[in-house]
Amino acid sequence: MIRFFIWFFLIGIFLLSAFIGAVDISPKELLDADSLSSTIFYDLRIPRVLFGFFAGAILALSGLVFQTLFRNALMTPYTLGISSGAVLGAGIAIKLGLSTLAFGIAAVSVFGFVGALFTVFLLLYLSQFLRQTQQTSLLLLGIALSLFYTSLLMIIFYLGSAIQNDMLMRFTMGSLSIIGWKYPLILGMAAFILFLFSYLYRFELQLLSISQEQAQLKGVDTKKTTLRLLIVTSLAIGILVSISGPIGFVGLIVPHMVEKLYPQIISKRILKTSIFGGLFLVMCDTISRAIQTQSELPIGIITALIGGPFFIYLIVKAK
Amino acid sequence: MIELKNLSCSFEDKRVLQNISLTIAQHLCILGANGSGKSTLAKALCGLVTYEGDIFLDERSINSFSLIEKAKAIAYIPAKLEIYDAHISVQDFILLGRFAYKKSFFEYAHKDVEMVKETLEFLNISRLKHNLLNELSSGEQQLVLIAQALVQQSQIIIFDEPTANLDPKNSKIIAQHIKELKKNHNIILITHDLHFAAYIDSPVAFIQEHALHYYEDDFFTDTRLEELYGVSFDGLAVQYD
Repeated sequence: MIRFFIWFFLIGIFLLSAFIGAVDISPKELLDADSLSSTIFYDLRIPRVLFGFFAGAILALSGLVFQTLFRNALMTPYTLGISSGAVLGAGIAIKLGLSTLAFGIAAVSVFGFVGALFTVFLLLYLSQFLRQTQQTSLLLLGIALSLFYTSLLMIIFYLGSAIQNDMLMRFTMGSLSIIGWKYPLILGMAAFILFLFSYLYRFELQLLSISQEQAQLKGVDTKKTTLRLLIVTSLAIGILVSISGPIGFVGLIVPHMVEKLYPQIISKRILKTSIFGGLFLVMCDTISRAIQTQSELPIGIITALIGGPFFIYLIVKAK
Repeated sequence: MIELKNLSCSFEDKRVLQNISLTIAQHLCILGANGSGKSTLAKALCGLVTYEGDIFLDERSINSFSLIEKAKAIAYIPAKLEIYDAHISVQDFILLGRFAYKKSFFEYAHKDVEMVKETLEFLNISRLKHNLLNELSSGEQQLVLIAQALVQQSQIIIFDEPTANLDPKNSKIIAQHIKELKKNHNIILITHDLHFAAYIDSPVAFIQEHALHYYEDDFFTDTRLEELYGVSFDGLAVQYD
């Protein structure tokens, strides 16, 4: 019953989301194709809702994949510093005053993407020096890396002009405001590829969720599987963060929420986690647009505001 | 038949086995002090630790086995499982033993599910099939691990201290099952429990100071045990006073 209400609520918001925002749109106005309302609706709102959905799906699914691969509930691309790497990359692009690189893709995005990928490979390289059992050390490495990046970002802030700092600040807070259909399409493809990989490797993931040793003894090439999944996940996260900036908490809490709603084995939660993550982020984005401030509230603030207390509730209730 | 040739391995940068050669015709019981390298030897057999030298399985080097082939040949049963996924049921867990036989990317076949069911019945634990793995007692967990090894259809089954966490009654149940399994499988057993080892009645490999001493059938005497363990024994039991 609770499941039904939660899905009903989330899907309802998803369907209504495009009508909500600084300009309220009534369905009647949409019949007039040339009206400003219909332009806003079709070129801004719907792409944004889809973008939010794919973003949420990528964040939630990558959280689930990371948590499973490392058998640790705190392992997400966000906590491992991969998002921070993207922010630092974007910060460097903004500081250097780069605007667009090839193919009309913003330099900020390209640098953000490189920052995320660089971090993944750095973590993979460093993790060779850890013993297989020391998962906590990897988490500590991620946190250390995160802090290091933040201090580099602070230097950029310190040296930056007011305009650069404003751009950087907004990027750091995460936002889903995009224009047109290019980004939703790119992100949709990334989400699809990530989902496909996770789904094809669902049985390997299931075995890895027991233990690395057990997976290997049952015939899973754990190194190859882990590496492939990490790279695909990081590519998707890199693409996402380079466009939207970092959006925290979704990767951490959505897999937990779905696990509470559906206490099933991991292989059966892949699709549910993806869809739930998508709907959850669209809900957060709808709230950010519904609350009228001078401009809209950055989505990262909303996810943290909802996610933080909810996460604490989950932890306390579980004990 | 398993052959170890000049095998050396280390555990956490410490050399535990040095130049061991041994032929295991059918079964083997591995004994030795704590930290002597019993588990490391077992893990080397299933490829979980790196080693120097070579291991042959039916005259083929185990290095040339793929992970899938290895899984079909050797099953390893740990003393205890640490599980991250808290929602896995006994049935689903045993099914994972069929991974090596499954077509990549596809679901487990009906045949696999049937085999799990039959194995549960064979071991008399059908009542547990919907229980979560995390909820099982140590004795039940060992039985479930045996079931998983059986559906894995490996010729060799390695038991790593199966009775270490068990009460006397469960130890007896597990011991009887292992004795039964000797008929159709090659059993390699690691244990500290001398009565249990004597009951299973396999040739013994005693590991001491990086070396391996092999006893075909005259191991379980109090004088021998006293000599190897350095404490007095009476009827295979340690004398405390």
